[in-house]
Amino acid sequence: MTTVPSAHDVLVVDSLVRRFGDLTAVDGVSFRIAPGETYGLLGPNGAGKTTTISMIAGLIAADSGTVKVAGQRMTPATTEPRRHLGLVPQELAIYPELSARENLTLFGRLQGLSGKALSARVEEVLELIGLADRAKSLSKEYSGGMKRRLNIGIGLLHQPTLLILDEPTVGVDPQSRNQILESVEALSADGMAVLYTTHYMEEAERLCDRIGIIDTGRLQAEGTRDELIRLTGGVDTIRLSGSGDLAAAAERLRALEGVERVEADRRTATLTVRDAPVLVASVVGTVAGSGVTLADVEISRPDLESVFLHLTGKALRD
Amino acid sequence: MNGGAAGGLRNALTVAGVELRLFLRDRSNIFFVFVFPLLLVLMIGAQFGDSATAGRVAVAGADGGLRTQLVAELEDEDVVVSDPEWDAALELLARGRLDVAVRVSEAASAAHDAGEPVVLEVVRGSAATAQVVEQQVRTATEAVRSSRGQVLALTDRGVPADRAAAALDTAREGVEPPDLEVTNVDELSQQFEGLGQFDLGASGQLLLFTFLACLSGSATLIQARRLGVVARMLAGPVSTAQLIAGQTLGRWAIGLFQGAYIMVATSVLFGVSWGNLAPSLLVLAVFSLVAAGAAILLGTLLGNEGAASGAGVGLGLVLAALGGSMLPRELFPDTMRTVSNVTPHAWAYEAFAEIQRRGGGLVDVLPQLGVLAGMATVLLLLGAWSLRRSLARAM
Repeated sequence: MTTVPSAHDVLVVDSLVRRFGDLTAVDGVSFRIAPGETYGLLGPNGAGKTTTISMIAGLIAADSGTVKVAGQRMTPATTEPRRHLGLVPQELAIYPELSARENLTLFGRLQGLSGKALSARVEEVLELIGLADRAKSLSKEYSGGMKRRLNIGIGLLHQPTLLILDEPTVGVDPQSRNQILESVEALSADGMAVLYTTHYMEEAERLCDRIGIIDTGRLQAEGTRDELIRLTGGVDTIRLSGSGDLAAAAERLRALEGVERVEADRRTATLTVRDAPVLVASVVGTVAGSGVTLADVEISRPDLESVFLHLTGKALRD
Repeated sequence: MNGGAAGGLRNALTVAGVELRLFLRDRSNIFFVFVFPLLLVLMIGAQFGDSATAGRVAVAGADGGLRTQLVAELEDEDVVVSDPEWDAALELLARGRLDVAVRVSEAASAAHDAGEPVVLEVVRGSAATAQVVEQQVRTATEAVRSSRGQVLALTDRGVPADRAAAALDTAREGVEPPDLEVTNVDELSQQFEGLGQFDLGASGQLLLFTFLACLSGSATLIQARRLGVVARMLAGPVSTAQLIAGQTLGRWAIGLFQGAYIMVATSVLFGVSWGNLAPSLLVLAVFSLVAAGAAILLGTLLGNEGAASGAGVGLGLVLAALGGSMLPRELFPDTMRTVSNVTPHAWAYEAFAEIQRRGGGLVDVLPQLGVLAGMATVLLLLGAWSLRRSLARAM
């Protein structure tokens, strides 16, 4: 997979390789993220997402390849590019014996904030993550969702250019999960570049402008959702069922423009079509004109799960 | 880097501040830091200190001048004197609660008053110290006899008895006895000369608890690693060196606080003398640095807090025992004394011995300080290397 870096890209990852003994955990991964763009790294557990992030964050060295954050080379020895980076690790990387305010203040200081600017920013983030009224409580007393929000708040504290979220919704209840996704959408709308790793297809589809599909350490494909879906052939499925003879209507259905294939018996029919939402009205009209009373119409469009299956031959959650 | 050297220092101080805050929030430290060390100093002082070695004598029998003078002479020799009935005194002897029992009969008391020969019944116990105490009784008896003889000599010359006794008392007070500088030929006794009752226990417990207080911090480093806090810090503008410096500074401050607290508390409560204060504090500071380095290394090598707590306490106790904090190194066989030099406790023990017992100054403890500083450097370098390695392992 090739990328064409722009001078303004917040993150440029070029041919990263990292081996642990005989295992190549990351194998030639390249991608870039532009300002305000949310890039999803989608792959199953063990695909190499966290190792890739660890190299981007300068926590471990790459065996080969380079990472540039805001135009500056990132390695474990360089600290300057880290000012532009906010990391929200998969673990709850907070001190349980400290309150939310104390945790935020600590990490704010380490990011170089101080004095009134630090205090003001801490209060701002407490409001943002909805913990202002529990700011003094020890974080070990928080619910799972509150801890997750604090975990994200620490990453946002110094207003980074690039925010890295490593599976931020793992183990979170649906309500908190939705809050987190809304926060990411808001940050992206404010112009922050976001690198979002997940193995949840729905999150990647909802949040990400572009998606990289990673498996066994390799970036298998990259692009917008529609670009990726086109890799599967881009065909939709319409399933019909009803009373009357659907098999008799099959010939008329095959004649419709955009219909590629029809398989039918008396009660059901399955159509392979291009752009089902546009075509469905014509299909329903044709069937009704053939004397069939429809009981059910179901449209299936290819999703990222289909893409992953198509690219790797296995399901995303295998 | 976070603003160059100033930023680095700021980062280190921030990390150290968190360590101190976590330490102070742990309520179990109230007992283990403030109460437990002093209890052990008290117990060891009671076992090995002065009162345990003072002679114990019972003087039973008739009241009178002989008994009164004998008790006064014994008490002048710091002997603990009691006055049970004779049968009770014999039972106490048999149980080992007395060293010597003396019976003053009516006949002996009367003979003493008359200036005639006196016979006292003395029974010695079986304790190792009883022979020494018997000698103290003999010396006291001789002093009583001598005093009585002097009074009789004066009354024979026509001096009234009360004036004769007063004149002898005045003479005794007016003549300063010669000061004796006694050198003990026993090498072991020489080693402990100059120590007060609680001094030895206090320095041993200071080393034991300072090291333990630091090692207990290895659990907080493991928790920070396990939770991803360390990785998060290092993903910001914080270098590994700054993180290690902060962790070390925090542990070091905790160790220093623990040691200084034991110094002040034992000095106030038990009258422990720490000798020349400046070198004593320097030894404590460098020893705490070694302990902080050991805590960092342990915190990067082990994977969970439970294991670290167990290993920390175990390691702390073994090193303290080997280094002379529980049994004085002077009592070790030669081979064990040599082996114990691998522990920082042994070097700090020797430094405190030099300062407390022999009035040593900074120059006298430089060799020990040098070795301790070397140990701290090696442990901190290993800790930094191990922390980076543990991060790579966690990916």
